Amino acid sequence: MKIGFKLNEKEIVIHVPPDKRAIDVLREDLGLTGAKEGCGSGECGACTILVDGESKLSCLMLAAQLEGREIATIEGLERDGIPHPIQEAFVEHGAVQCGFCTPGMILSTVDLLKQNPDPDREEIRKGLSGNLCRCTGYQKIVDAVEAGANKVNSTIKGPASKE
Amino acid sequence: MMPKNRTLQIGQSVPRADAFKKVTGEEMYAADYYGKDLLWAGVKRAGIPHARIIGIHAEEASLLPGVVKVLTHRDIKGTNRQGVIRKDQPVLADERVRHAGDGLAMVIAEDRETLQKALDLITLDLEPLEAVLDPERAVMKDAPLIHDDNPGGNILLKGLIEKGDPDSALKKCDMTVEMSFRLPHQEHAYLETESGLAILKDDNRIEIIVSTQTPFRDRRETAEAVGIEEGRIRIIAPYCGGAFGGKDGINVQSLLALACLHCPGRPIKMWWSREESFLASCKRHPAVITCRLGASSDGLLQALDTEIVFDTGPYDHLGGAVMALGMEHACGPYRIPDVRISARAVYTNNPIGGAFRGFGVPQVAAAMEQMMDILAKKCGISPIEIRLLNAVAKGDKNPLGTTMTGSTGMLECLETLERDPAWTDREKWKAGAGPFKVRGTGIASAMHGMGYGPLIPDTANAKIELTRDGRFRVYSGVVDMGQGNASTCLQIAGDILNQEMTRMELVLPDTDRTLPSGSASASRTTYTFGNALIDAARILKERILNRISDMMMIKGAEEMALIPGAVRHLPSGKEISLADAARMMTGEERIVTSRFRAPVAGDAPTKDQALRIHGIPHTIFSYGAHLACVEIDELTGRVEVMKYVAVSDCGRIINPQIFQQQIQGGISQGIGYALYEDFIMDKGSILTKDLSTYIIPTALDIPDMKSIAVELPEHTGPFGLKGAGEIAIDAPLPAIANGIADACHVRIERFPLTPERILEALEKGQMRGDTA
Amino acid sequence: MDVYNPHTMQELRDLISGHPEARVFAGGTDLLVAIRRGALSPSLLICLDRIESLKGIEDRGDEIFISACTTHAMILRSALLLEHAPVLTQAVGELGSPQIRNMGTIGGNIITASPAGDTLPPLYVLKAEMEIHGPASGRRMPIDEFIRGPGSVNLLHGEILTGVAIPKEAPWDIGHYEKVGKRKALSIAIAGLAASIRLSGSGEIINARLAWGSLGPKIIISRPVEAALIGRPLTLKTLKDAAALARDAVSPISDVRAGAEYRRTLAGNLLLRLIQCADGSKAPLPRGG
Repeated sequence: MKIGFKLNEKEIVIHVPPDKRAIDVLREDLGLTGAKEGCGSGECGACTILVDGESKLSCLMLAAQLEGREIATIEGLERDGIPHPIQEAFVEHGAVQCGFCTPGMILSTVDLLKQNPDPDREEIRKGLSGNLCRCTGYQKIVDAVEAGANKVNSTIKGPASKE
Repeated sequence: MMPKNRTLQIGQSVPRADAFKKVTGEEMYAADYYGKDLLWAGVKRAGIPHARIIGIHAEEASLLPGVVKVLTHRDIKGTNRQGVIRKDQPVLADERVRHAGDGLAMVIAEDRETLQKALDLITLDLEPLEAVLDPERAVMKDAPLIHDDNPGGNILLKGLIEKGDPDSALKKCDMTVEMSFRLPHQEHAYLETESGLAILKDDNRIEIIVSTQTPFRDRRETAEAVGIEEGRIRIIAPYCGGAFGGKDGINVQSLLALACLHCPGRPIKMWWSREESFLASCKRHPAVITCRLGASSDGLLQALDTEIVFDTGPYDHLGGAVMALGMEHACGPYRIPDVRISARAVYTNNPIGGAFRGFGVPQVAAAMEQMMDILAKKCGISPIEIRLLNAVAKGDKNPLGTTMTGSTGMLECLETLERDPAWTDREKWKAGAGPFKVRGTGIASAMHGMGYGPLIPDTANAKIELTRDGRFRVYSGVVDMGQGNASTCLQIAGDILNQEMTRMELVLPDTDRTLPSGSASASRTTYTFGNALIDAARILKERILNRISDMMMIKGAEEMALIPGAVRHLPSGKEISLADAARMMTGEERIVTSRFRAPVAGDAPTKDQALRIHGIPHTIFSYGAHLACVEIDELTGRVEVMKYVAVSDCGRIINPQIFQQQIQGGISQGIGYALYEDFIMDKGSILTKDLSTYIIPTALDIPDMKSIAVELPEHTGPFGLKGAGEIAIDAPLPAIANGIADACHVRIERFPLTPERILEALEKGQMRGDTA
Repeated sequence: MDVYNPHTMQELRDLISGHPEARVFAGGTDLLVAIRRGALSPSLLICLDRIESLKGIEDRGDEIFISACTTHAMILRSALLLEHAPVLTQAVGELGSPQIRNMGTIGGNIITASPAGDTLPPLYVLKAEMEIHGPASGRRMPIDEFIRGPGSVNLLHGEILTGVAIPKEAPWDIGHYEKVGKRKALSIAIAGLAASIRLSGSGEIINARLAWGSLGPKIIISRPVEAALIGRPLTLKTLKDAAALARDAVSPISDVRAGAEYRRTLAGNLLLRLIQCADGSKAPLPRGG
């Protein structure tokens, strides 16, 4: 099936079986291995991508569902080599250990902050409750999101703060 | 916040060097490797716990279009046996199925769909045998033998250590406490399941990229099992997407090597689904621990008699070493004059018991730390007081008879905890519980021995290079599975060489490029590799300065200093760039290797060679004292950890942020072990076989955790460091159990403490036995 | 599997009549998990996600109409529902995870008809009606008739669930939902209680609607338990008496998540939580799960 959609701001067209999982399309057909498979059944959030700005689980989406959508993966978060404030915050605050949950965690954060630009720690935890992490115990991730939210809010509008 | 481009120094919270590529999705894990003309390999697994293999019927599967090969044990030329200590695990099962996850056939196919269809077409002709489902059954005379060739029958290893006369001592004690505890399996649940990519190349060598903690050991094991010369295998170990011990041992390596031998020239990928990982991977050993602890009326410990039975599943998989470490730590960080510690690791047809962060210590600490609290209550003293009274100090002998020669911060940890507001204000906090809620606080302390014990060499070989363009490249032989040792090592080298992180490069473990440095386990990676690296970095520094002083007629190294990107001649102020310095040296001269082997204990608490090989005793210990503040919902039985404080002695802290990462992560896995992770089996079959039924904590389930380091330097460690990887997972379960007992006078012998068990205990009232 | 993305109801009807074997889905969070498990292997899937007329929350005067493919996230954002059906908003807030709420739909949750479906106990106490459209006509049915059993709903061949109608009523004094799960997110309910209570000026219960989830093959309504509340003051004694009856009203099973006895105890205990709403406020209660 021919499927046309916007991927990280660029229009693309691909030919894949319509029932191929979106995560497999990203990783195998498009070489974007940032979205990870941790369970294949929607329980871990490692496969999280943004679909028209909303966080969704690419392991539970079919290629046909990508048609006409705006898809954002972790690879698209950097703009012109400038990392997103959330990416920077994750680095600075020690929110990354093994890193396997990190892309999904960051994209869920982007969606969370779009809806709630100034969340408290409990709201952050709730916003990230669909992303499992086995390494960190979540605390430094919450620290990073708190700090990153401040950065996002105080940054002058520009490519890096688009989300 | 760290400004970028600051020179590295020990003690700084340098953001991890690997973090940037992980936040952009650029970092490649083993699971992220694909290839042109890729083949997919997968395994047909037994599905029943114990059986004789009559036949494996794969004809239909082999004929399916898109299937390249179907392999069984008949296609293996080597020993078809792997294992670290006892080699008892087949690559593909030959005469018997010993657990439901045993692999019997491997399919190699053009795509995943065909692979799955082919696996479904394979039929197994199995004659079920009685499944041995618990260690008690396993040791009965008429129990089926899991391994006919094991001299100990179904006992993999047993051990006994006795000091003094515990039986009479216990009789004379003013206070005794007796209780039994049952600890469950725990699943590692790393987010990246077992995965690898391998290819047999034109030079007849097999290159395997795999998520593993042990690339060098893997190479040897795989070569032997599959029947090829070790030098033909190259293993590359990227960052693991989590491991925690679960990748300490062969998982896909041998299977992929075997596949390559039969499908040369094409990349072959294997990636276990989550369900397959549950089925086939190793777990934390379940244990049944019975203790009798005796003290005088003031709370001074007199005697301990403990029996520990570990269910090691069907294969060794380090089960003996887990048993030994459990034995060594069964007395806790205390002085006890008379002890008997008896343990066995028993074969069953349950899932494989293997390495999991803590490695036997969480199980024994679960028992001992609760016994301490029960005893404290009986003696009318507080849980902190009883621990302060009995804690080992430097120079003491522990109950096994090992002298604490290394830094020993148990008392300091307890004293620090005693001063913490979470402890001092606990009564006020408890009184603030709302309707239908009751609150309690619980303490636990722990010790954790680092390294491999007295006989197995704990060695690392560091390699560092001044590159042609004047940067420093560290060749790490030891895997970074998320604990940040790679970044810490760059920080160590960067401090010695006075460079910023941007001038440091890292080569991840690769059997062709880096040097053997042991496993990423036993809390030893930064200690052992770090020590080797310090030596190598100092030698390289000296070599660079000496070369410059010879070439430029400078008096000596004492007149020069390394600065970021250059060497400065101090008297004149002249600077020579590192790239220029590199040009003054040959390629050989720009590389330094150095070996470090960790010290071992001088004492020998046991003459039992088997126990010594398996690790008794260790000589360097880390310590921890934890406080859990818990709130129980009386309507549902749910327990929430509201506050948590961990005070740790891990020596001098090289990177506080990375130290906190380890402690917070360990606590959170410990909270899972205590409250959430109910691993349920039924007749040898795992019922909690995916992440929807095996519950690990989400961000809403773990509180903010306060982590304090008591920085008594460990003089043998790199800049005073000692292990921090495991100490934090040893204490949470008993701290939480003690908190629950404090809140509602309920003590339960089975874990985890699920809401259902708590509510049932609340309804039945009080504690059991003489433990009220 | 073939996958179709119809954009209009007419396209959808044509596809369904042309492909009786097709499986319809909206969010896919239940369907794709079932396919992975091997419970289903459809040859054709029809995705409803492009049909805009199947999304939205509408104030129709005497009722609020939620179109079937409205996602849980949209329900959470709705001020209209928060005002008129807070018990539903509360329940949806605990369903799954943020991602699952962005994908899953109320229609999907109803059609899956799991005894643990988080939207179901609230829809029962809200006396929601299903709107169903066939090729020729439409009909309505109360939710307790629509759901027949686990995974089974009263849809004839060729019919689609197009939406859920929630009658507007005078505001209830207490609109409460508590879910007991094994953790605070991504957790299938072990037990759930939705309760709507109306109080007199003097604190006496004049009306009560209760619905228990995960405690039987269907959502459980119990007139005896409701009757035990009505006419009595909202006190712990009243709730305890009703709780004893509640334990007999439910028929839980033991499964990998929880035992039957525990669930039975929860059925009663969850009622006791209502005492925390005794002042008639809709204050957020301790989060269940």
